[in-house]
Amino acid sequence: MELLAQYLGTEVGRMLIGLVGVIALVSVNALFLIWVERKVSAHMQVRLGPMEVGPHGAIQSVADALKLMGKELITPEEVDKPIFWLAPIVVFLPVLLSFLVIPFSQSLIIKDMNVGIILILGFSTLAVLAILMAGWSSNNKYSVLGAIRSVAQNVAYEIPLLITVMSIILMVGSFKLSDIVAAQSGYWYILVQPLAFLLFITCATAETNRAPFDLPEAESELVAGFHTEYSGMRFAVFFLAEYTNMFIAAAVGTVLFLGGWHGPILPGVVWFLLKVYALIFLMMWFRWTFPRVRFDQLITFAWKILIPLAFANLLITALVMKLR
Amino acid sequence: MIELGIEEKTYTLNLGPQHPSTHGVLRVLLEMDGEYITKAEPVIGYGHRGHEHMAENRNYHQFLPNMGRVDYLHALAYNQGYCMAVEKLIGVTVPERGEYIRVILSELNRLTSHLLWFGAYLLDLGAFTPIMYCFDDREHILDLLDRITGSRLTYCFYRFGGVPQDLDDEFITGVRAFIKRLRSRWPDYDNLVTKNVIFINRTKDVGVISKDQCVKYGLTGPTLRGSGIPYDIRKSEPYSAYPAFDFTIPIGDQGDIFDRYIVRLQEMEQSLRIIEQALDKLPNGPIMAEKVPKRLKPAEGEVYQAVETARGEFGCYIVSQGGIKPYRIKLRVPSFGNLSILPEIAVDTLVADLVAILGSVDVVIPEIDR
Amino acid sequence: MLKDNITKALAPLGLEQVADGDYAKTGYHLEVAARPEQMPAVAQAMLDQGCFLESLTAVDLRESFTLVYHFANFSELCRTVVHASLPKEAQAPTISRVYPAADWYEREVYDLFGIKFAGHPDLKRILLPDDADFHPLLKDFGAEAAND
Repeated sequence: MELLAQYLGTEVGRMLIGLVGVIALVSVNALFLIWVERKVSAHMQVRLGPMEVGPHGAIQSVADALKLMGKELITPEEVDKPIFWLAPIVVFLPVLLSFLVIPFSQSLIIKDMNVGIILILGFSTLAVLAILMAGWSSNNKYSVLGAIRSVAQNVAYEIPLLITVMSIILMVGSFKLSDIVAAQSGYWYILVQPLAFLLFITCATAETNRAPFDLPEAESELVAGFHTEYSGMRFAVFFLAEYTNMFIAAAVGTVLFLGGWHGPILPGVVWFLLKVYALIFLMMWFRWTFPRVRFDQLITFAWKILIPLAFANLLITALVMKLR
Repeated sequence: MIELGIEEKTYTLNLGPQHPSTHGVLRVLLEMDGEYITKAEPVIGYGHRGHEHMAENRNYHQFLPNMGRVDYLHALAYNQGYCMAVEKLIGVTVPERGEYIRVILSELNRLTSHLLWFGAYLLDLGAFTPIMYCFDDREHILDLLDRITGSRLTYCFYRFGGVPQDLDDEFITGVRAFIKRLRSRWPDYDNLVTKNVIFINRTKDVGVISKDQCVKYGLTGPTLRGSGIPYDIRKSEPYSAYPAFDFTIPIGDQGDIFDRYIVRLQEMEQSLRIIEQALDKLPNGPIMAEKVPKRLKPAEGEVYQAVETARGEFGCYIVSQGGIKPYRIKLRVPSFGNLSILPEIAVDTLVADLVAILGSVDVVIPEIDR
Repeated sequence: MLKDNITKALAPLGLEQVADGDYAKTGYHLEVAARPEQMPAVAQAMLDQGCFLESLTAVDLRESFTLVYHFANFSELCRTVVHASLPKEAQAPTISRVYPAADWYEREVYDLFGIKFAGHPDLKRILLPDDADFHPLLKDFGAEAAND
């Protein structure tokens, strides 16, 4: 028993518990978010949403998950099998690993790395690789189009995202996420960097392929985009990855702009989750309000508007920091 | 110089026939260079049911239900066109109250068609909410029309000589309440869609149709009026009770998608005006002409009757050789001509633009295929 | 008056008939009879008057066909119908070089009647499947033929 406690207290033990916790969080989060999305979209569209399965459709997501698990995993004949099978894994793993550095509260952080924010940004780029793999291996013109769009979109919106994050890092002076949260104990950074927040929300929505930037999976144009050929549990994994990505993006936004877990009375974890879900609600609100941007307008918007704005923001931040 | 030896070719992409945004069973064969379209060829005929052949094997009364299935979204206008054509052949005049009722119902039907177009078009563009609002409004109209005609979609209500059932008071109060309700919704639609920057960027200067193309391709309807030509059969070749009403024909100036969208929105408001005036001026009297024979044997001759539907000009061309069945009926449908311009305006656009242009032309495939 | 302008424009073409139509009974303002070979010239004359092609169809009169062209005008109301009698097995010249709208209409006539249009850019079936071997609107096809 003592040995077990000793073992659990070590670094590895902590990480194992953390990993189990993260997997649990990811699953529950996905189920919860799917239900929230359906309810939010329903009420915005003057209808009710799921009401049958459980009180107010609360266990609808569980029913959907069970259904998806029971579906046949169809693999079309001409696909590039190894890449086709790897793509869902590659899309999901980086997102899962990003959870390592998210500070849920002062003590709830699996591994407080020195390069925390860089880790998350680096892993989020890997998702693009997974989409490319999925689109290419499907041997379907629609999927390839979706994958191409996704790569162009993600690359274009990475840059203003990184520059915006740099503005915040400049103010904090460290890449550690816990340091960034600690630096906001006086006031939240959204108050001094409103432009950066707007840029961040825009880029985060684009990075997670959410509407109005959901061209890679544009239903009305490309049937289902890069995951047209995926069925059953494989499709569920893409879906899961999208919602988890949203959580990570919102978590990063909370840490950078909304003061992380800071907040009166309630425990840090509760505040953190509240802020994260508020940002997620904002992203959902976008989806059900705006039509889709056209592809060339999307890229133009990123390169000609967002990047100059992000650079301007960085320069102003640097200037203000220097003058202090 | 290093020769890479890479061939630059275009590839073929098939849009449809099963596709979420082709509004029916339409296939568009695309030759693409990356995301740009070099050639677009619509392939139709997947829904050909042989209406014109059916017309030759049925008597005039038996062909009435077919008209509702040709364009199910504005079925009452097709009903009206066919009935008026036959009434011309047999020399029957519809009494005034009958004409007013026909106008009120047809305009209500035009509203449902435009509302559905509005919602479905925005769904194509990726906005998931407006269609819910539109269908909500549309439900009210469908309930009202259901009271009188008995159907919600594929109407077969008008008869040769008039209408078979009169309007009741509940219908009239219902329509007046609905007009008020819909007018209060215009600001919602404007704020949600018309003023939306993303929407404007996707629709301005896209899919421009010039006046010359309009004449050469014989376009009609809002597709034509968006390019600035004020041709509306209700005004240019008035029929039924339309001369008694005061309404304007909205036109655009540039001929892009945004203009066609605004034209349809404003047409909805004009339809509301017509319905209001018709209800105010509704005369008393018979709704059905007297002495309409039960078995029609029109004299030899031919007739062409044009009516303005939500999509454009519907022309009913009937050739009679004195028998109880028509010798030939040609249904001139607006979507047939309107769709034929697609190959010309789709060149050098993106797939996203093609979907937007196709939606803005507002085609209903069953009427093209008949 | 557009009707007079059209009549004047059609006069030099030597058509069989250019007469006033009974609008109240038929919906036509002008009834024109022409030969199929004259159609491209007629179409060009109508286009020069600013008219658009409203409809193009055919009627099977058992011993011959009649091609029926409807023209109308956006600015002034004047519906012109042109009847062109076409013997069976004969080809009609296309007017799609003048009116691109005729492209699809002529394909439809070919599809449903079997009438070929000489000079058409791509005369193939439009409504029926490409490999169909019948023309459904001919009078000796289908239920009517079976009943006769």
